[in-house]
Amino acid sequence: MIRLLERPIVHFALAAATALVLPLVLRSGTLASEILIYGLAAAACNLLLGYTGLLSFGQGIFFGLGSYAAGLLLLRAGWPVLAMLPAVALVGAATAAAVGWLSIRRQGVYFVMLTLAFSQLFYFLAYTLSDLTGGDNGLLNVPRPALGGQPLSNPWTYYAFVAVLFLGLFAALQRVALSTFGRTLLAIRDNEARASAIGFPVRTFKVAAFAISGAVTALAGALHAMLIGVAPLSNIEYHTSETLLIMTIIGGAGNLFASVLGAAFYLVAGDLLSAIWPRWLLLLGALLVAIALFMQRGLWGLIERAAALVAREPDPNAASADATLPEESRP
Amino acid sequence: MTAASQAASQAASQAVEPALAADGLGVRYGSFVALKDVSLRVRPNSVHAIIGPNGAGKTTLFHALTGRVRAASGRITLGGRDITRTPDDDRVRLGLARSFQVTSLFATLSVRENLRLAAQGRTPWGALAPWRRVPERDATLDTADALLERLDLAGVAGRPAGELSHGQQRRLEVGMAMAARPRVILLDEPTSGMGTDDLGAMTDLIRDLGRDHTVLFIEHNMGIVMNISDTVTVMRAGQVLVEGRPAEVRDDPEVRRAYLGNMITGDLR
Repeated sequence: MIRLLERPIVHFALAAATALVLPLVLRSGTLASEILIYGLAAAACNLLLGYTGLLSFGQGIFFGLGSYAAGLLLLRAGWPVLAMLPAVALVGAATAAAVGWLSIRRQGVYFVMLTLAFSQLFYFLAYTLSDLTGGDNGLLNVPRPALGGQPLSNPWTYYAFVAVLFLGLFAALQRVALSTFGRTLLAIRDNEARASAIGFPVRTFKVAAFAISGAVTALAGALHAMLIGVAPLSNIEYHTSETLLIMTIIGGAGNLFASVLGAAFYLVAGDLLSAIWPRWLLLLGALLVAIALFMQRGLWGLIERAAALVAREPDPNAASADATLPEESRP
Repeated sequence: MTAASQAASQAASQAVEPALAADGLGVRYGSFVALKDVSLRVRPNSVHAIIGPNGAGKTTLFHALTGRVRAASGRITLGGRDITRTPDDDRVRLGLARSFQVTSLFATLSVRENLRLAAQGRTPWGALAPWRRVPERDATLDTADALLERLDLAGVAGRPAGELSHGQQRRLEVGMAMAARPRVILLDEPTSGMGTDDLGAMTDLIRDLGRDHTVLFIEHNMGIVMNISDTVTVMRAGQVLVEGRPAEVRDDPEVRRAYLGNMITGDLR
């Protein structure tokens, strides 16, 4: 059972199951789409955080730029959706490569500060260029054009469109994580100095990881703008970077599906709790503290522990001989 | 060392192109001079030891030779090619690999994956392919598997490197340098912290490496140094004190003075 939970095909099956189950349990197609969109952006964030060891506060830049680029291409240039998406991915990849290239010149705290600084820079840039971005109001009236004769105006039709893209991109991210490239990222995360000493051009690998993460994040931003019909200033705000990081950490940085789980948890909890108590973010803060202190592998770690308990029960010897829980955190 | 033997050994070392050479190498950390005017010639397919008291600059010399720290002055050549300004990862591709004094592995990755990565490091651009799966069987895995056998690590191939015993980690540490199939291999205290049981195997391994590689190693155990080295360089205070064959170095009065009162393991017979 534990071994099963480590297999990528199982993670993909779980992602597909999520996409199928959301319409059954949620009444709002908008919320369901939002879960997949943020799940995608969190998984892209995880490629940097969990696989490369880079805590990037710049993810909001790529998400926001994706929203603006999609809005401008659909609204002003009148591009069809299928032409807009690759263009947005390119914008995201190029921007992320540039931001990454400059930020990775420093390590640790200074790297984090640089991504934060870029986040502020792009926010004010978007704020200032109000002719393009609509400034404080956001870029309004982003259309949701029909796709090959099929209108996407219904929330659940749009959800189906998002779900297909979500699964395709999720599979692509998995492919990246399993490739020789992804395995090298793990080595860089574990021990950057050694990775360099055995011959890997570490900076190039980090920039490439940024570009891939940026492309997927920008696509998520584009889908979000189409979802809500606006490319809001808040999408490029520092707060979006923070939200994506929180989703990634709540889910657990170990694998890509964990990020989808984190995003789903964050959004559903927010949806339920905000109706009861407007200060629900306070509870989220407490949860983050608990995760940082006691369950560094996040919600996914909890699932792994539960699976370990279930797997042990049929074997009474193992259960009695060793009642302790499996190790929950690895460095 | 007599003047005649010094001249003879110099003539001999200049006759063949050194596998690795440093000329007038200097390294500074801020205002501290860690290396001053160090010249070194490592003959191809020889086992060359560097000894000296703590703080003599041995590891700094390794850092400079492998490109981890930038030389403030002087010149480094690898097989006649100037690599003074070459970045560390490029030096691996040119055939220079090293192991570390403090074990430096990919702790959460399996032993086999550690070696596969080290073998891949020789052709790293091939790994920059986000769409390419790790093949079931290729040259890097063959290298990794051969090393698992040679280092007696096959039994723990699937375990995370961080969970190995100290002796196993030290062997893997050396194996990581070997996996790049270098011409020149630099080992920084390969036996550091090893129990006596493991010492024999490591000594044999280093001697064995000298047959098809050029080995430059830092070592505190004089027994090993005297037994397997072709040449010994003694360093003190960032400079080369003496260089010569083991027997010459052992009998040198300067060396004996440099080591007086210093903690070194093994016998200085």
